[in-house]
Amino acid sequence: MDYISIFFQYVGQYLKTRLTYRADMVVEIFSDLLFQAVNLVFILVVFGHTSLLAGWSKDEMIFIYGFFLVPFSIFASFFNIWDFTDRYIVKGEMDRILTRPVHSLFQIVLERMELESLFGVITGLVVMFYAGSNLGLEVSWYDPFIFILLVIGGALVYAGIFISLATIGFWSDSRTDIMPMMYNIGNYGRYPVDIYNKVIKYVLTWILPFAFVGVYPSSYFLRREEWYTYAFLTPVVGLVFFLIAVTLWNVGVTKYRGAGN
Amino acid sequence: MQNIIDVQKLRKEFKSFSSRSGLKGAFRDLFTRNYTIKTAVDDISFTIKKGEMVGYIGENGAGKSTSIKMLTGILTPTDGKVVVNGMNPHKEREKFVKTIGVVFGQRSQLWWDIAVQESFRLLKKIYNVPDQQYEVHMKDVIETLDIGPLLDKPVRKLSLGQRMRCELAAALIHNPPLLFLDEPTIGLDVLVKLKIREFLKRINEKYGTTILLTTHDLSDIEALCERVVMLDEGKIIYDGPLKELRENWAEGKQIQFQFSEAAALEELQILTKEHLVVWEKGESDLIWVASVDSDETVISGVIGKVTAAKKIADLKILEISTEEIIRNIYVEGAVRHG
Ligand SMILES: Nc1ncnc2c1ncn2[C@@H]1O[C@H](COP(=O)(O)OP(=O)(O)O)[C@@H](O)[C@H]1O
Ligand SMILES: [Mg+2]
Repeated sequence: MDYISIFFQYVGQYLKTRLTYRADMVVEIFSDLLFQAVNLVFILVVFGHTSLLAGWSKDEMIFIYGFFLVPFSIFASFFNIWDFTDRYIVKGEMDRILTRPVHSLFQIVLERMELESLFGVITGLVVMFYAGSNLGLEVSWYDPFIFILLVIGGALVYAGIFISLATIGFWSDSRTDIMPMMYNIGNYGRYPVDIYNKVIKYVLTWILPFAFVGVYPSSYFLRREEWYTYAFLTPVVGLVFFLIAVTLWNVGVTKYRGAGN
Repeated sequence: MQNIIDVQKLRKEFKSFSSRSGLKGAFRDLFTRNYTIKTAVDDISFTIKKGEMVGYIGENGAGKSTSIKMLTGILTPTDGKVVVNGMNPHKEREKFVKTIGVVFGQRSQLWWDIAVQESFRLLKKIYNVPDQQYEVHMKDVIETLDIGPLLDKPVRKLSLGQRMRCELAAALIHNPPLLFLDEPTIGLDVLVKLKIREFLKRINEKYGTTILLTTHDLSDIEALCERVVMLDEGKIIYDGPLKELRENWAEGKQIQFQFSEAAALEELQILTKEHLVVWEKGESDLIWVASVDSDETVISGVIGKVTAAKKIADLKILEISTEEIIRNIYVEGAVRHG
């Protein structure tokens, strides 16, 4: 398909540009790694006092964090739309996007990708293998496929939520702090939802379903059968939220007013 | 010949919201917000045929860019009908934009950090242009615009004139039958302007490309367009040959009076009330300019009346430039048809 070959053309161009600024890339990867290390240390510190939190062990928590890193890193590599309103609406860059024969959201994904973030996938896998071997988890031949499916679901949940938020820019270009706030809320998906109260748990499941990026899908690999229904709902929730987001986006584009003068 | 652009009663309104002051105001804003409606394009209708080069002119804020954005599918019209290349631009956007080229003078189509050539290659992919067509067509474009030596430089290292030439080439990668240019010569020096005009003429002749061009610079229009569409406050106030516009108005002359003592507008208007005259104040109360038809009896009549009543230090008769014709049209608000 055309979109796939356009995608690879952009990736090729991206790598070419990035390799000429190699130092920047190294700094970026390093700061990502540092950030992930801080998060891990945080989990270790919390578990310094207790070895079980709402029935979850330290290694299980670490495993969930490792899993979370995978869909999150994929999301972070391709959906850099936290500054969409500023960059594309206020500055009117959307004009340019809309004069090209490729879906506007896809173009923005291509223009804003940050492939360095994909290193988070490796970190995540390493963390999962470490925690998983401590826990003595068994892996079946089909688990990698389920893993891929659940990871895609989780990444779509993130993408859906952040695209939906970005579309607000089509209706109102006033500044809000909603994006950074949402990044913070997203972090709650890294911990088991049963450590929160009912309302938060409900919100993280059905309204801002960040739980489908971390705990729910991980519980399949942790063989926590009580959560299996949620685990297998992950791709469905991801697809639904992503489709809602794309629909909102398509409506939003018809409301685009250009850079006001 | 077929219509490439068909616009009927096209309208665009912008709502702008204002916030009320204070806490009470903010609370009321939650339920009903105050807004004003600005009509940027006000029920315009026109058609453009294949191969035409049309100048779209008007003062700042007249609604030129807004019209172009509706014609290119960027903005959704509030009301009215647009058919361009047989399609509804914002409805079938992705298919439609393959058939047009767009250049915005103040906005770049090219990637800032990468070589011009790489930008072209990405655009070639985006527009899915076959290799062979690209080779033949772009070779010609690159030669005519003389941008060969710029191709391996990153866009950020180009001067404005160099960049604009590359922008033009980029807009033509898919050899579109219709080209929109919004202020393409803004800020460019004369030589680059000439080069760009020559190029536009050439693609119009060679490929029959239809061109709609907005500009501040009337010399662009004079060099390129036989037809002008003139916009004022969102309405079309003239649509016809540039030649006719010139003839109807350029037949006029300007008589510049320098008086020995200050004169007032009413006084002058009363003096010349028998003739069709537009009075305009010059640099001071002493200098006044009368725009009149270039009819001997009117000219001598006006001069006679004024010199009989007032002391004069100097007197000049000037031809009216296109620039002034246009300005006069705006002053009167409508075009006299001859
Ligand atoms: N996005 C927008 N929001 C609000 N008003 C706008 C917007 N874009 C244009 N306008 C208004 O519409 C009018 C026409 O603008 P424009 O089409 O840019 O004029 P021109 O290109 O002829 O200078 C102006 O009064 C301008 O302020
Ligand atoms: Mg404009």
